[in-house]
Amino acid sequence: MSADSSPAPVTGAEPGQWRTVATRFLRHRLAVAALAVLTLVALFAFVGPLLWHYGYDEITPDNSRPPSAAHPLGTDSLGHDLLAQVMRGTQQSLLIALSVALGAALIGTVTGVVAGFHRGKTDALLMRVVDLFLTVPTIAVAAVLGHNFAGKSGWFLIAAVLAALMWTTVARVVRGVVLGLREREFVAAARALGASNTRIMVSHILPNIAGPIIVSVTILVASAILAETALSFIGFGVQPPDTSLGLLVANAQSAVGTRPWLFYSPGVVILLIALSINFIGDGLRDALDPAQTRGPRRRRYLAKPVERTGVIPGDVLLSVRDLRVVFAAPGDDVPAVRHLDLDLRRGEVVGLVGESGSGKSVTAAAIMGLLPPAATVSGSVRLDGQELVGLAEPRYRRLRGRRVAMVFQDPMSSLSPVHTIGDQVAEAVRVHQGGSWAAARDRAAELLDVVGVPDARNRLRDYPHQFSGGMRQRVVIAMAIANDPDLIIADEPTTALDVTVQAQVLAALRAVRERTGAAILLITHDLGIVAEVADRIAVMYAGRLVETGTAADVFDSPAMPYTRGLLESVPRLDRPADEELWAIPGSPPTMTALPSGCAFAPRCARRTAECDESEPGLRQVSDGHLAACLHLTVERTPR
Amino acid sequence: MEILGFALRRLLVAVPVLLVSTFLIFLTVAGSGDPLTELRERQPPVPPETITAEEVRLGLDQPVLERYGDWLTGVVRGDFGPSVNRNASIAVEIGTRLGVTMRFVLVAMLVAAVLAILVGVVSAVRQYSWLDYLFTSAGFLFLAMPSFWLAILLKQGGIQFNRATGTETFYMIGDRSVPPPPTFLAQLADVAGHMILPTVTLVLIHFAVWSRFQRSSMLEVLNSDYVRLATAKGLPRRTVLRKYALRTALTPLITVIALDFTAVFAGAVITETVFQWRGMGDYLLSSINARDVNAVMAWLLVAALAVMVFNLVADILYAALDPRIRHVR
Ligand code: SF4
Repeated sequence: MSADSSPAPVTGAEPGQWRTVATRFLRHRLAVAALAVLTLVALFAFVGPLLWHYGYDEITPDNSRPPSAAHPLGTDSLGHDLLAQVMRGTQQSLLIALSVALGAALIGTVTGVVAGFHRGKTDALLMRVVDLFLTVPTIAVAAVLGHNFAGKSGWFLIAAVLAALMWTTVARVVRGVVLGLREREFVAAARALGASNTRIMVSHILPNIAGPIIVSVTILVASAILAETALSFIGFGVQPPDTSLGLLVANAQSAVGTRPWLFYSPGVVILLIALSINFIGDGLRDALDPAQTRGPRRRRYLAKPVERTGVIPGDVLLSVRDLRVVFAAPGDDVPAVRHLDLDLRRGEVVGLVGESGSGKSVTAAAIMGLLPPAATVSGSVRLDGQELVGLAEPRYRRLRGRRVAMVFQDPMSSLSPVHTIGDQVAEAVRVHQGGSWAAARDRAAELLDVVGVPDARNRLRDYPHQFSGGMRQRVVIAMAIANDPDLIIADEPTTALDVTVQAQVLAALRAVRERTGAAILLITHDLGIVAEVADRIAVMYAGRLVETGTAADVFDSPAMPYTRGLLESVPRLDRPADEELWAIPGSPPTMTALPSGCAFAPRCARRTAECDESEPGLRQVSDGHLAACLHLTVERTPR
Repeated sequence: MEILGFALRRLLVAVPVLLVSTFLIFLTVAGSGDPLTELRERQPPVPPETITAEEVRLGLDQPVLERYGDWLTGVVRGDFGPSVNRNASIAVEIGTRLGVTMRFVLVAMLVAAVLAILVGVVSAVRQYSWLDYLFTSAGFLFLAMPSFWLAILLKQGGIQFNRATGTETFYMIGDRSVPPPPTFLAQLADVAGHMILPTVTLVLIHFAVWSRFQRSSMLEVLNSDYVRLATAKGLPRRTVLRKYALRTALTPLITVIALDFTAVFAGAVITETVFQWRGMGDYLLSSINARDVNAVMAWLLVAALAVMVFNLVADILYAALDPRIRHVR
């Protein structure tokens, strides 16, 4: 993200974008293989008949022959050469399926764009039409219509009938995407500039939905092949003397036992076409929407604790040494946390501060043992002397929620939408303390009361969607204190909330600390919050700790240029509160391509040649105040 | 109750569209040719009075608009009109055949849904394991498999199995034995024996799609914050999976299954023809061939009604499973 990145209006797909899509598609080996197979099948169907010496309607003197050199696929009881027939059938089926897909894409896109763009009555009416099409089995209506038209004028009418029945899937997909796009800035901007609706639809919306359309139309080709062959199979599609793959299977069905060659080859061709189209569709989806691309394939969760020599002082609750977390990713492994040392004393509130991507949330997940399988952890995390790195899952589970509890960022998504509040809080009590549901529910009401949920007892039966964001976060905090934990990790607990609510939730956290004496690791990018509650502050940059000290140390005399930059950044009223603002030029480094020296060097005003040579370690500024910088200068910033 | 009102309102909006489309289909079938061709060309010739009487009985002597009007008023009163086949009442035919078809459609859907949930959950929880790969490949295979081809394949397999074991384990023709076996239990076993292969066909075709869907919705839920929080609470993995992940991942599947009912029904039409059942599929195809407008219209209406009932059930289930829907006004 560059500092001046504004929502860029996407007015058309640039050629470069399509090139990356092509590259990504080519990386999808199955899809490429499928494309090759489909190309071969198409050649077989359209070029094959020109080269093969039997015509599909030619009657040879050899009838009912099994496959031989003269007739590679055998002949039927009338003496038709099956290879010629399968080629003709494939040709017909492909022609029909492609026309169906094109027609359906056209009708579906227009309907979807119009419905999604205009919404309201137009949308309702169009969607009812779509519903209606979904109400009757396609094959039935196609049979009714097919009986009327198809016999007379061949593949084109069958294609028209099927397209008229199959456009609805495309319409639904397109409508969904358009509904989402409509609210985006660039559409609003175009409208503000006075562009007409048609113009907006054609030049701003269409290019942005090309991806989903391409994918759903590709898949549609496969459905169309299956629909056409089924239709021909029941006798309402392609009619003799012409032939189609479905018709060939139908003719062979009574003779599977006696002349199996007639049955297998047309079926296998259908299967091959549909299969390769589905794989191509899959590859296209991954190429067009990389967000959905699969993660690494192998499970690589490894955790090896390091030996520790030093004695951990008795008042230290959590002691992290040399913590490293690496994520396996396609291509290169990505480090997320690098050599982190951190101590938390009992009852202490430590603010862990940094930009998103600095590794602070990964650190939290590592302490909780909640990292995804792709992550490798090493180093040492000791809670009250117990080593957590490499701890077996059943023992880890007994720590979670009992000794260490967690509060997540977004209260809107961290509660199960289908269970009641009372159930979820009572469950947190019961999982570690056992007892009856009734007792647990009583305790849940008490806990909710502590965190300031009004009328708690009567709200136990409510569902999360009946609570406001701030109230939900209180519920999550109530669950966190259900078992009097020693440590609460709060990962951006107020970021998703309104400013006014933020203060209340913070107050609830503070009350919880007074009451339970739990230590709190408060992860945030908002220095204002840290200033209010934290005893000590740890600043992270690019996966490393760059400065740590008491709140007074760090706020009054920041030693590292990055920390100073953070403190100088002034919150501005004209941007949403959750946007991260730093008065520091440039952006954080890519974790796969870290600078060789100080990771902050590219953005640092104080950078010298030395800074690029080796990564500075933490050095003492004053007692208990450490910073990772070669040019430590302790200035007292006026507050 | 709110959900019923919602469904009814949706139905009301659909009425005009429904009217237009029934009219169009009526025109199409009525225009597809003379249903009495066979009667007219019969040798020795049928007396002209008989043909005229038939024309009057079927309303062929009237303009098509009037015929549509008659059909509509009849349907509103619950009368599907006369069938080209003089000896059969449309309502009675459809009644018995719907039973035959729905029997295996419902069983197949139930089995496919249960399998899809199991397979989807296993492949999501064990993502990228050999089981996941196996199920994924099977899913792709059956997704691309033409149902009629699979049906014939299974039928052939059944024949070979019977021959190899010298038993009559599978039945390949019809939906029951004629004449039926004497006792009730034997009849039940007989019907079940006839049902196995067609049901397996439908199950294989549809469970593939559904399990893919269940897998991805389960994966999405597994990555959700509330599953992470449930884990962070210290709940055992089993509880997290069953109570939090599966429970929420089920709701979207219900919608998909309900929407897919039409597809299953269509699959049943095809499968029935392979196994020569006297079900809805056979009735539709023979009615189209006989140019029996009233029968075709009745068939489509009943199918549409079945779909609507199914969607309603799905809506109600959905509301029962998801409190957010339940409380929407
Ligand atoms: S080491 Fe050099 S580049 Fe890094 S923060 Fe200090 S002065 Fe800046």
